Amino acid sequence: MSELQHGFNEALISGYIDGELTQGEEQRVRLHLEDCAECRTMTDELRRLKEATMTTEFQVPDDTQWDETPRGRHSGFFRNFGWLILLAWIVGTLGYGLWQVAIDTEDLFGVVIVFGFWLGFGLVFLSVLIDRLKTRKTDRYRRVQK
Amino acid sequence: MMPAVMSADVPSPDRALVALARDGERDALEALARRVGRSAYVFALQLTGRAETAHDIAQDSVLRFFQHLDRFDARRPIDPWLYQIVRNRVRDLMRRESLRRHESLDAWMEQGRPEAVDASADPAADAERSDLQRLIWRAVSQLTESHREIFVLRDYHDLSYREIAEVLSIPQGTVMSRLHAARKSLREILVAEEGTSLGGPPAGGAIDE
Repeated sequence: MSELQHGFNEALISGYIDGELTQGEEQRVRLHLEDCAECRTMTDELRRLKEATMTTEFQVPDDTQWDETPRGRHSGFFRNFGWLILLAWIVGTLGYGLWQVAIDTEDLFGVVIVFGFWLGFGLVFLSVLIDRLKTRKTDRYRRVQK
Repeated sequence: MMPAVMSADVPSPDRALVALARDGERDALEALARRVGRSAYVFALQLTGRAETAHDIAQDSVLRFFQHLDRFDARRPIDPWLYQIVRNRVRDLMRRESLRRHESLDAWMEQGRPEAVDASADPAADAERSDLQRLIWRAVSQLTESHREIFVLRDYHDLSYREIAEVLSIPQGTVMSRLHAARKSLREILVAEEGTSLGGPPAGGAIDE
């Protein structure tokens, strides 16, 4: 059956079932159904389809799955700001250490001890930072706090 | 056993919940997250037919929902906006991963299996209705993407034509014709693939199979 059958827009049947028609359209459908057995059958069948569908229930995961609240915008801002300050501090400290090595070669042992510590710490920090940045795009839970 | 949710059941105090959540009320935030999560999961499951994928999409959609909650007009219903988010996530995922909608009819049936509902005093009628619901769900998996989403939004989630137009970003006039085409297609699948006729006595009575 085509959408326009005997001058009747068949899609109106769906609008009729759903109560989405204007009064005039509804009246037109009613009059058509009185005369057209085929459209009457379709209306009954679609009603039955809708009734069965609307009473269908679906399984959902346990409610605890959704017991996570998003992190607020303010705490997110402070966290990002904190990371920036920490990064600037590490870069500055390492830069200062390198400069000290360049100008002061008398206390080389002390410089190696201090600079070695910060270099190691900086590299570990850098590796963590790189991992975090790599996973940032795919980490769905980064804005979630338990 | 997992609890069940009636897909067309939209709680009324959404507006109050949104207002309280915006004020940072923790209980309201959690209640809203649960309400939104459940709806997002069911819709994602109905679009993808995969429980695990639906769960991931629901989690992601909940996050996006809360990210933009401040900009949401609380006078409007939540669902159209939420379903728009979920639909976009599903489409992104399918495009990115070339995800097949479902692996097989069996997998679709197993993962999205509707719950049996023993609601009336007539167990035989309940059983028949439950069978019909399962057959319809199976047939839904065979609809095209555009037919499936419009059918799901109207007949499983009870959205108005105006709300469906908003979710799918299509003119309101297109909703009725596309929905009707989807219903007709579903009816044909039920007859051709499942050998099931929707004819018979009014809803709640016996089913001709």
